[in-house]
Amino acid sequence: MVSSEVPIENWALQLTERSNYTTRQGGNKMSKKVDSAEKLTDEERILLVQSQKRHSDYQLTALSVIGVLGFLILWQIAVMLGWLPSRYVPMPSRVIQLFFAKWTDPNPDGATLGVNIIGSLQVALTGFGLAIVIGVPLGLLMGWFHAFDKFMRPIFEILRPIPPVSWIPITILWMGVGLKAKAFIVFFSAFVPCVINAYTGIKQTSPVLINFSKTCGASNFTIFYKIGIPSAMTMTFAGVRVALGNAWATLVAAEMLAASNGLGYMIQQGRQFARPDIIILGIVVIGAIGVLFTSLLAKIEDKVLGWKK
Amino acid sequence: MRKTKIEVVQSEYERKEQLRRRIYAVLPIISVALLLLLWFLASSAKDSNFPSPKDIVDRFILFLHKPIKDMSLLGHIWASLKRVFIALGVAWFLGISFGVFIGWNKKANALLGPMFTAFRSVPPLAWVPLMTMWFGTGEFPKVLIVFIGALMPVVVNTQAGIANVQKLYLDVGTIFNAKSRQMLFEIAIPSSLDAIFAGIRTSTSAGWMVVLAAEMLGGKSGVGFLITRGMDSGDYSLCLLSMICIGLVGALLAVITQVLERIICPWTAKKSS
Repeated sequence: MVSSEVPIENWALQLTERSNYTTRQGGNKMSKKVDSAEKLTDEERILLVQSQKRHSDYQLTALSVIGVLGFLILWQIAVMLGWLPSRYVPMPSRVIQLFFAKWTDPNPDGATLGVNIIGSLQVALTGFGLAIVIGVPLGLLMGWFHAFDKFMRPIFEILRPIPPVSWIPITILWMGVGLKAKAFIVFFSAFVPCVINAYTGIKQTSPVLINFSKTCGASNFTIFYKIGIPSAMTMTFAGVRVALGNAWATLVAAEMLAASNGLGYMIQQGRQFARPDIIILGIVVIGAIGVLFTSLLAKIEDKVLGWKK
Repeated sequence: MRKTKIEVVQSEYERKEQLRRRIYAVLPIISVALLLLLWFLASSAKDSNFPSPKDIVDRFILFLHKPIKDMSLLGHIWASLKRVFIALGVAWFLGISFGVFIGWNKKANALLGPMFTAFRSVPPLAWVPLMTMWFGTGEFPKVLIVFIGALMPVVVNTQAGIANVQKLYLDVGTIFNAKSRQMLFEIAIPSSLDAIFAGIRTSTSAGWMVVLAAEMLGGKSGVGFLITRGMDSGDYSLCLLSMICIGLVGALLAVITQVLERIICPWTAKKSS
């Protein structure tokens, strides 16, 4: 008995050592620390692990900051020393300068940054909002009612594989070059993930819950409303997140192809006037707004789906 | 009497069921017919220049006789597909390697992750003006943009897959004294194959969409070029014809990646269905 306990202990020790290694909290140093940790009491050991964890957290944060700053500094230096032609690659400092100037200066594309941002947001939010309002209920109904599913599915499957960008000529023919046409294209790109996720989400409703409600005498519509929709919410939100990304990406394309203001138009004009600083500023602003919206959506999801966690 | 009543009840239920099944079989046909009818109505309205299905077929036949820019319809589709395939090949190779690297190595993730997230939050098409400025309007910038569009989903999915390998599997590896190389190649990568394939699927459809937009923004061949050509010359049946082709090819690509996934990792089929 006694002899068999010894290897197990060693083996367990090796396990902690190895798993520390696999969680990558510092390779070789770790094994020495574990050896010394053997003689510590439990509390000391907890403290030791906590301080190690804090240390590695600091290290990781520092690395992130170094990564971003290093990239920007390298870029700045490369342009300043002339390794990269400044005619094609503007310095980061130049872009920051332009960012502040562009709020009041409408050159060269004819609108200030604020006007462009508002123009883009208006189109994106119109299309995105419509896609949620129409797409999510459609997906839920298709997922729940078989007859409706059979009816809508073929239409949906025919229209789905056509990329939203390719609708641009037809929408211009229908609605001209305005908010309506761009919003329609954005709508189309956000609509598809909303429908698909709502559909899959409600299809995954636990049959136990449905059968239980049936036993208690709930009507089909009550079950749909009280069981189906809440349990589809997680998937639906994932779809809305994808839809947001699609909407924003498609908006840029739509504005580059047919628009007279907006961020996509701004970068396209930057190309026309050979102003790389305008293009990069546009790219950065587009990315930043995208990130802002994604985090906003995550906040809303936390609020709405808090009861699930 | 009792017996016959039961039989009647049963057969009535069966009849209802049969009726329902028949209705279900007819409904898809009705809906597609309605869609076609709507199309005919839209095209036959007085002052509309929206092409009818017949115009599309006529345009297709005309295309067979009169190629655009010395290329048949298939030639244009192939020109687009070639760009997508080159970009996808490079994006899969680099994307999976990079995703594995930042998914496996926490320090690499801390160093490169934020930069990557920043690049990812920019829609691929926003790079088009910069790329045309740097590299002109040739073949390379288009492939590069498709590459950017296809790279992001591959890296994100691979990284998530590798970083979320179940700890249990890794512990089993530790118990059997696996080296960290073995842990990576024999445990982590195989168990995250389904996540990687999800990335490949997304990247294929993203690549097809991006190539289209890139060609619309300036190209001399490809299906995207056909659409802008149709728009500029008021030839809307050409637009619709190319839209139909794009839809068909896109659907075909989706099917091909699905079949590929079935073949390479058959165990994921159970999970997804």
